[in-house]
Amino acid sequence: MLKKWLLAAALATGLSGPAFAETVNILMEGVPDTEYVKTLLPEFTKETGIEVNLEVVNYAEMHTKLVPQLVAPTGSYSAIVVDFYWVGEFTKAGWLQPLDERIKADNFDTSVYVPKLMDLVGKVDGTTYMLPFYNYAMGLLYRKDLLADEKNKTDFKAKYGFDLDVPKTWDEYLKQVEFFTKDGINGVVNQGLRPDPIAMEWSNYLFANGGEYHDANWKATLNTEAGVKAIEQYATNVNKYGPIGSASFSFDEAFNVMAQGKAYSYITYNFFRAGIDDASKSAVVGKVEIMPVPGTEAGKGGSLNGAWGWAIPKSSPNADAAWKFLKWVESPAIAKKRALQGGSPTRTDVFDDADVNAKYPYAKALKEMLLTSHNFPVFTYTPQLVEVLGRELSLAVAGEKKPAEALVAIETEMTELAKKDGKLK
Amino acid sequence: MTIAADDRRLNNMPRTEQTAVERRDRMFGWLIASPSLGLLFLVILFPVFWALYTSVHDYTLIAPNFDTFNGIDNYTKALGDPEFRHTLWLTAFFVAAVVLLEFALGFLVALMLNSVERFKAIYYAILLCPLLMNPVIVGLIWRMFLHPSLGIVNYLLSLVGIDPVNWLGSTKVALWTIVMVDIWHQVSFMIVLLLAGLSALPREPYEAARVDGASALRSFWHITLPLMLPVIAVTLLIRLIFAVKTYDLVYIMTRGGPGVATDLVSYFIYRTAFVGLNIGEASAMSAILLAVIMGLTVWLHRYMRSLT
Repeated sequence: MLKKWLLAAALATGLSGPAFAETVNILMEGVPDTEYVKTLLPEFTKETGIEVNLEVVNYAEMHTKLVPQLVAPTGSYSAIVVDFYWVGEFTKAGWLQPLDERIKADNFDTSVYVPKLMDLVGKVDGTTYMLPFYNYAMGLLYRKDLLADEKNKTDFKAKYGFDLDVPKTWDEYLKQVEFFTKDGINGVVNQGLRPDPIAMEWSNYLFANGGEYHDANWKATLNTEAGVKAIEQYATNVNKYGPIGSASFSFDEAFNVMAQGKAYSYITYNFFRAGIDDASKSAVVGKVEIMPVPGTEAGKGGSLNGAWGWAIPKSSPNADAAWKFLKWVESPAIAKKRALQGGSPTRTDVFDDADVNAKYPYAKALKEMLLTSHNFPVFTYTPQLVEVLGRELSLAVAGEKKPAEALVAIETEMTELAKKDGKLK
Repeated sequence: MTIAADDRRLNNMPRTEQTAVERRDRMFGWLIASPSLGLLFLVILFPVFWALYTSVHDYTLIAPNFDTFNGIDNYTKALGDPEFRHTLWLTAFFVAAVVLLEFALGFLVALMLNSVERFKAIYYAILLCPLLMNPVIVGLIWRMFLHPSLGIVNYLLSLVGIDPVNWLGSTKVALWTIVMVDIWHQVSFMIVLLLAGLSALPREPYEAARVDGASALRSFWHITLPLMLPVIAVTLLIRLIFAVKTYDLVYIMTRGGPGVATDLVSYFIYRTAFVGLNIGEASAMSAILLAVIMGLTVWLHRYMRSLT
């Protein structure tokens, strides 16, 4: 009797196996690009017969959800998306599968990716662990209608002695911030919340002043003239030219101020460019444009780069199917379809695509932004560094620390972390 | 089991004389209690000891192993960290503020509600609303309300001619804003517990006091307060322990900022563990916090008992 039952059970499982389609499980953040990918999934299932299950959560939950699955011998996620913050940690802990063999076997072309993005969310020490998914480099949103206004033009010229136009340098931009703080409008809105909003935004100020986080040997280079100026300018913008309370704004609150037409400019993630033309969220549709954060001189950019990469964890229950998905989602056709919906590309061929440029004239500015952008230090303790930056910058903005004091504190802790990680000898 | 024990005490029976029935009762009691005791062991005692064990090792998320025993290093490092000490003091201040203010406000409302005859259920329902909300949602709602230029609070203030308040962006105001939101969220907890205590008080002493001509204030001071002490003690204790753990509001509303103005200890420990990846040190900090809370609890408990 028992034998019969066992046989029946074996047959049942054996027969029912093929009836269940294979499923690729992916944990993703609830952002526009995830939504665009979602709309394209039926095509993948039709092509391969593989179902895709996207688990979409808030950013804050992602890391805590990922780690237990990555540590386990077999986790529940077939593929994951990795923020550049985590790249150092995930690769150091050995949680990601190298993709080079798969890339070679399938002749997948990675040379089309913007090189800075491959450095950030592609290769680590020569090994490819990720395919860049979307980029969220930061740019300068500004009110083009205010720039074009004739009265503003004459007033500005009279006051500063040069023409009011799209700012070519960082100093020009700062003058505009001062100028536009009038008539109930603020020259700028900042995202001063600890830790990542302020740390990420301030990084643009650092780069715009010609500063960098560290030299080639990971020696911290923050306590410099550029660093001090960056903090002073940031604090002035928050306290003098920004709306009240921007020291505690996250990006959504700051964006709302911009979208309600209460600020001339806002340095933020590129994906907000599409949002500002969405009439359900914005009162300034058609009046705002994006550009690379200007640098010390024309042609030099101060934008901070940022991106997510697709990866296959070592704990992936079905790595082959996951790779099929990665290959498909990063194929030129699908990457283009995502971009046409408003997604943020990482491939140069998509950036240069005629249809994409016809639909989104600012695609050129986004590409320019990426090419002139600067990368944040990527190492095992990136999140920790962001934490330190958030604390010290916030203290400096609140006037509880002098800029140089804050920079010394950041340098000290950054050096300690870089040593702990073996980056700094 | 307890009834049997009480009987024995009443009859002054020596402990050894157990009847077969008693023994069977005792066995049955253990049997009934064992699943919950087992569960308690699994979800409370085991993690506590695990954390204590971790706290004396160099255990990080990068190298999650117990290879390096480092004694009290994590403890001395934590206590030597000015940031950790700052968060401890700030938390002490925050806890004192919310517990005392919520108690004062809660007791007042509870006394008022206790004398209400009609629509009690409606008042209860309204009061319980905030308590039913998840703290994360409370934080998000209040962040919107308190938006300095687009929020409703500053708008309402502007109608009566008050300048916009920088609720979360000023180092001087932010902690009090969190205290205020916490009171809004948690005061009903105090009210409900204190009200339950009040409605269980005997009527006779009040009637006697009235016959003797005592004023309302006197009967509150000499009857209500002494009779309520055990309930008050428990309410304060529970609220105190919960307040020390406050994390969600800070996480959602300020992330410890501006500067370090709202950096409460639970959020700091969380960051040490999951941002700094240093589970060993975070465990040591938790152990220190546990010791502080336990000390406080024991002290408060004894003090309140000495009053009764």
